[in-house]
Amino acid sequence: MKLLGIFRFELAYQARRLSTWLPFAALAVITFLFVRGNFLADALYADFYLNSPYVIAVVTVFCSLFWLLLGAGVAGEVAARDVEAGMHPLTYTVPVRKAEHLGGRFLAAFVLNALVLLAVPLGVVLAVYAPGVDAEVIGPFRPAAYLAAYGFFALPNAFIATAVQFSVATLGRRAIGSYLGSVLLFGVVYGGIFAVMLFLRRLEYAAPLDAFAHLTLFDVTLGWTPIEKSTRLVGLDGRLLWRRLLWIGIGAGALAFTYARFRFAHHAPRPLWGRLARRRPAHAPTPAAIGDAGSAISVPQVRGAFGPALYARQTLAIAGESFRAIAKSRAGLVVLAVLAAITARVLPENLESMGTPLLPRTEYVLTFLTAPLTDPMTPWVVVPLLVILWAGELVWREREAGLGEITDAAPVPEWVLFLGKLLGLGLVLVAWMALLALAGVLVQVQMGYTRFELGLYLKVLFGLQLAEYLLLAVLALVIQGVVSQKYLGHLAALAAYALILFAARLGVGHNLLVYGSAPDWSYTDMRGFGASLAPWLWFMLYWGAWALLLAVAARLLWVRGLERGLRTRLRLARGRLTRPTVRAAAVAAGLVVALGGFVFYNTNVLNEYRSASEVAGRRAEYERRYGRYEGIPQPRLAGVRLRVEIHPRRRAVEIRGTYHLVNHTAAAIDSIHLAPAPGVETGSVRLHRPARRVVADDVLWHQVYALESPLQPGDSLRLSFTVRAEPRGFRNGGANPFMTPNITYFRSQEWMPAIGYQPGRELFKPAERRAHGLPRRPMVPSLAAAGAGQDITGETGMGGVERIAFEAVVGTDAGQTAVAPGALRRTWTERGRRWFHYAADAPIGTEYAFFSARYAVHEEVWTPPAGSGQPVTIQVYHHPAHAANLDRMLRSVRASLDYYTRAFGPYPHGRIIRLVENPGGGIGAHAEPTTIDYTEGFSRFDPDQDPRGLDLPFAIIAHEMAHEWGVPYAFAEGAPLLSESFAWYAAMGAVEEAYGREHLERLRRFFRQPQPIPPIRQSVPLLRALDPYAAYRKGPFALYALSEYMGRERVDVAWRRLIAKHRSGAPPLATSLDLYRELQAVTPDSLRTLLHDLFAANTFWELETERATARRTAAGAWQVTLRVKARKVTVDPAGRETEVPMDEWIPIGVFAPTERQGADFGRTLYLRPHRIRSGQHTITVTVPRRPSDAGIDPYLVLIDTERFDNVEEVEIER
Amino acid sequence: MELQIRGVSKTYPNGVQALKDVTLTIPAGMYGLLGPNGAGKSTLMRILATLQEPDEGTVHLGELDVVRQKDAVRQTLGYLPQEFGVYPKVSAEELLGHFALLKGIGDRRARREVVEALLRQTNLWEVRRQKLGGYSGGMKQRFGVAVALLGNPGLMIVDEPTAGLDPAERVRFLNLLGELGENSAVILSTHIVEDVSELCTRMAIIDRGEILLEAEPLGAIEEMKGRIWRRVIEKGALAALEREHAVISTRLLGGNTLVHVYSPAQPGPGFEAAEPDLEDVYFSTMAGHIGRRRMPA
Repeated sequence: MKLLGIFRFELAYQARRLSTWLPFAALAVITFLFVRGNFLADALYADFYLNSPYVIAVVTVFCSLFWLLLGAGVAGEVAARDVEAGMHPLTYTVPVRKAEHLGGRFLAAFVLNALVLLAVPLGVVLAVYAPGVDAEVIGPFRPAAYLAAYGFFALPNAFIATAVQFSVATLGRRAIGSYLGSVLLFGVVYGGIFAVMLFLRRLEYAAPLDAFAHLTLFDVTLGWTPIEKSTRLVGLDGRLLWRRLLWIGIGAGALAFTYARFRFAHHAPRPLWGRLARRRPAHAPTPAAIGDAGSAISVPQVRGAFGPALYARQTLAIAGESFRAIAKSRAGLVVLAVLAAITARVLPENLESMGTPLLPRTEYVLTFLTAPLTDPMTPWVVVPLLVILWAGELVWREREAGLGEITDAAPVPEWVLFLGKLLGLGLVLVAWMALLALAGVLVQVQMGYTRFELGLYLKVLFGLQLAEYLLLAVLALVIQGVVSQKYLGHLAALAAYALILFAARLGVGHNLLVYGSAPDWSYTDMRGFGASLAPWLWFMLYWGAWALLLAVAARLLWVRGLERGLRTRLRLARGRLTRPTVRAAAVAAGLVVALGGFVFYNTNVLNEYRSASEVAGRRAEYERRYGRYEGIPQPRLAGVRLRVEIHPRRRAVEIRGTYHLVNHTAAAIDSIHLAPAPGVETGSVRLHRPARRVVADDVLWHQVYALESPLQPGDSLRLSFTVRAEPRGFRNGGANPFMTPNITYFRSQEWMPAIGYQPGRELFKPAERRAHGLPRRPMVPSLAAAGAGQDITGETGMGGVERIAFEAVVGTDAGQTAVAPGALRRTWTERGRRWFHYAADAPIGTEYAFFSARYAVHEEVWTPPAGSGQPVTIQVYHHPAHAANLDRMLRSVRASLDYYTRAFGPYPHGRIIRLVENPGGGIGAHAEPTTIDYTEGFSRFDPDQDPRGLDLPFAIIAHEMAHEWGVPYAFAEGAPLLSESFAWYAAMGAVEEAYGREHLERLRRFFRQPQPIPPIRQSVPLLRALDPYAAYRKGPFALYALSEYMGRERVDVAWRRLIAKHRSGAPPLATSLDLYRELQAVTPDSLRTLLHDLFAANTFWELETERATARRTAAGAWQVTLRVKARKVTVDPAGRETEVPMDEWIPIGVFAPTERQGADFGRTLYLRPHRIRSGQHTITVTVPRRPSDAGIDPYLVLIDTERFDNVEEVEIER
Repeated sequence: MELQIRGVSKTYPNGVQALKDVTLTIPAGMYGLLGPNGAGKSTLMRILATLQEPDEGTVHLGELDVVRQKDAVRQTLGYLPQEFGVYPKVSAEELLGHFALLKGIGDRRARREVVEALLRQTNLWEVRRQKLGGYSGGMKQRFGVAVALLGNPGLMIVDEPTAGLDPAERVRFLNLLGELGENSAVILSTHIVEDVSELCTRMAIIDRGEILLEAEPLGAIEEMKGRIWRRVIEKGALAALEREHAVISTRLLGGNTLVHVYSPAQPGPGFEAAEPDLEDVYFSTMAGHIGRRRMPA
């Protein structure tokens, strides 16, 4: 009964406290934002209910993680309040048993936490039913869904976490221990999971660590279809039940341990070192004699000398003191050092792309070490969080030590206190930057890279990143210093930081409105900082002025003495308003206004600033106003002549151009619609026949010219124009990273005017369209529409398929080389500038790019076999320091030219193929006729270090090369099959030709990995598919499977015929159906079913070897018996699976033990097709040598999403 | 330097009126502020130490306005709060040096000398290198005195300093204070009468926010001569006695009760004249026989 009494007392006591319910409110708000932010758009897009059991369960799990930190205070308070209040001598000596004492308290903490967690369902309900949600995505209200989520996830999580928090706080005798417990639990669970992923690379092994049922929930719901996600209840199935029980057991274990260790006893502090080095306690007895020698000692009569010099000394002393305090604290240098060590340890594994290691160039390593203050999606949010924590500790340091009154009464101005603590905090950040730089260098050393570029580390970390952190330090310190309650101070500072992080998502996009935000700076080897630094700096200066103003506010409102009331503090602030303070405030305010005005002049006057919603609004308006012109007859582009003047130092480009337009339609055209590009000045538009401008919309970028006499079918027209691009000042979004003194790079579709209405400018997200009252529309025209003969020209969306004649004269600075499509006809120098005249040998597409930089150029000539076209000049334009993969790329280009010429016909773009490095972000390459450009990131590939022995860059270049042979295709369903799938199918052939079959298997094994493109089962057939899995994985696999079954030559013939028919780019353009017809034409009757299954149905083969055994025969051979299971299903987009009968020839393979590391199998002992029907089979084959592995379809030729069950190890029977 | 407190009142947000129209003049020398727990002593002390704001009234230290010119006051202020802590992991020498700098002693050598002298004077020199976390209550208190003495303060505010000290430490501590009182104003608040009687040249008695008596201890004792009477009675007889006489204090003495009674004249048989001490002054004031809480007699 005493237990009940204690329980009731604690419950009542805590329930009265505001700090118990603040987390409740915070959690409800977070849940609301989480649901609205994360699931609303998904629900609209993926068609499941916002309040489906699935969403509620996921939200509950995630929000219980937020609660872990938010609500940690409760258990700590309950567990350690007696000790902290010094009341324990009273409570320990009453006749209460340990079980009652601890049990009552734990129960109270658990019940309180369970109550606080009710905020999650409340938040969900609010998020679902408060205004702003489309009625379509709200499903029926199902109490069971809330109950299940609360019962299976929230309650057990509350128990587990409370048990740990309570134990740590009880045994540590500190309330803060509960936070420590939370962090510990979180660290063990997620650190453990992370470590398992890192070292074991199998998520399954991490399951026992899943204390919050986080992984398990995703495990259980992984295969759920949208219908299931909308309706199915998350049940307590085996996996979930066992893992929950396991962790409830661990929680109970923690409690039992606490019970065993807890003593009703006075606690003598025993420092960690105490056991090692026993110190004698300090003792200085008071001499008994009165009037002893002590009083004879005279104290020097030193009086304070107050002035700037002293204040400077005091500031430094406080700074040093503060630095030492943080550095020595538990969340101090040790944590930072551990973070840096983890970074140094983990980064090398992360310096990879698609499994291929990357060179740890300093520019690249630095991208991992830095993050803008405003970015929520980075692990470095931990630094601002630590800064907030430290700021609180510093502000409360004296008060918590009981020295507050003495310090406050000391003759130290508030600004000295503030500045000293700020400097101390700054010193910690400096130390952190040094640790990070060290970690970066260590990463490079580990990876055997030696160009450290310490200057760059210094500039980036100590110049740029530190400045942003310091701004936050000022804010945190001001908030903590002004808020008179520590807990509230933390909450206020966290809220301020959260606002900074999520301002953009809340619709505040202007950097002038979000403290500490600025356009991102960027650095790459090719462009250096480019023009990104100046805008960043101006914004930082502006925020620096704000920081100064905040500091003045802090001086005025700094909590000093014991007055906490607002009115009194305002009165005190008036008293502190001395002349220097007023002057500082005036200077700061003046700077804010001046710098803010300058920035505003740049972002909003010199440039146009539009918020995200304004941009969307304009796109909607464009569709409403001009959408009626979609598909009207317009002439098509047939030729382009340009004169391009690049002025790198001014970051300016001037273009004079002429379009040659031809009316390919059957109708006379009476008006020309021109869509100038946003962001550049398009002027001097002139039609070379009488016309008048009837619409000139400079806001929505649409112009209409009425021709005096209509353009007859087959007639042509010239249109000339100028385009000017030059930055005026800077924008809120920062500088264009491709317009820098070092390199200029732009693409036609960004700047050149386009003909006709541009559907690509419309809003396309269903939610956005709905918000702007636009009708639903399919993202892509259907194949049926294409088949019905609708003009799907492909002019929009996926880029131009028209073939145009192209000629350009490009001028740039004398030191730079300009690159444009086509052959270089002539180059010359005139008036200190270099000029290049390019002309395409054969028509190119309407997407093309210009480059200008100090390129190093490699050139060689490839000669085709006799009768297969002309020699082709291969050029590589690259950054001089980025030559590591040059040879490899050239080898790939040559191999591609060799193989594709043979397989698909002569190189179709004349006599030049160019690879050009561009300063773009990411790691990728892009092909246009005659030009393949690859990002700087691509040049980081270091395939020699690839543990898989896979030459991925070679394959990627081969893929891009294959695009050069690509067929112009219609923008319709199934289009990716014609572009990306073709390119990878072709590249597989090129890889096999160059490196052999085994290397091809390595590439295919990479393709089967769920990263970076996870398999998607629920979809439409390949002929209609658009998703990346279909485009980049399933499509190539299907083509490959076909080539395995009927020979590659036949598949290539189909492609060759398709290309020949559609090469001209004249309508009608190719669709996937055209390809299918060509494939059908080359497929023997016996394989018609396979062809259909691969392309016209969404088929998966589920082939599995259940067991393989072998027995030695009397003759000395080995008899292998396989038990295999086979099944074939089709899956529709809603996830419904239908089994279809199976009856086909599938290879059965038996292999010797592997001889080399990395190889799948050893020597092939047996590999022959067997006729397999649905169901189980037992297959017996005899092989000459001892087998090691055996299985069905061992090379996964057929499409099977379960990668690991086709082949089993052979058990040897005795 | 003289401290002038004029009409100071302070009411806490919870409605407790801690000070009611307090007016005091405190000259250089030791000044005792005597009162029971909760009398408003600490509030007054904290107002003097610039840590709290009076609702009404003014406080002047010489020419300085204590409420408005806090910075200037702090430059000459020594303050020992009733309760304070220390950084447990720092040595006395280090922390005292830090405070010396905060108190304005910027010169490194001067600081070292002052710190050494104060540590010697407070008898902490031997343990100066040890962490403050290991100090006993008395040592901590002495350390606080050392901090308060830094910078040669003209105004010294000492709030209940003897509360946690053992008798020997108390004596030593009072000695220290006594020396200081020679050239600055030292205000000592206490609820222990002996502290005042042994040290202070002037004193005030405060209760429930009001100053009941302002006097020189010796003079006040002198005035009580002939008004304090003592009698030893049995325990059970106290109630009857209290009904008839103005009992100001009682004390057990060998199993019986020693009673002090206030009376301008011989109260009756069995009473003998007592030699008054400050305790009698205090209790008479609290009981309202003398001072401002004079009962309508």
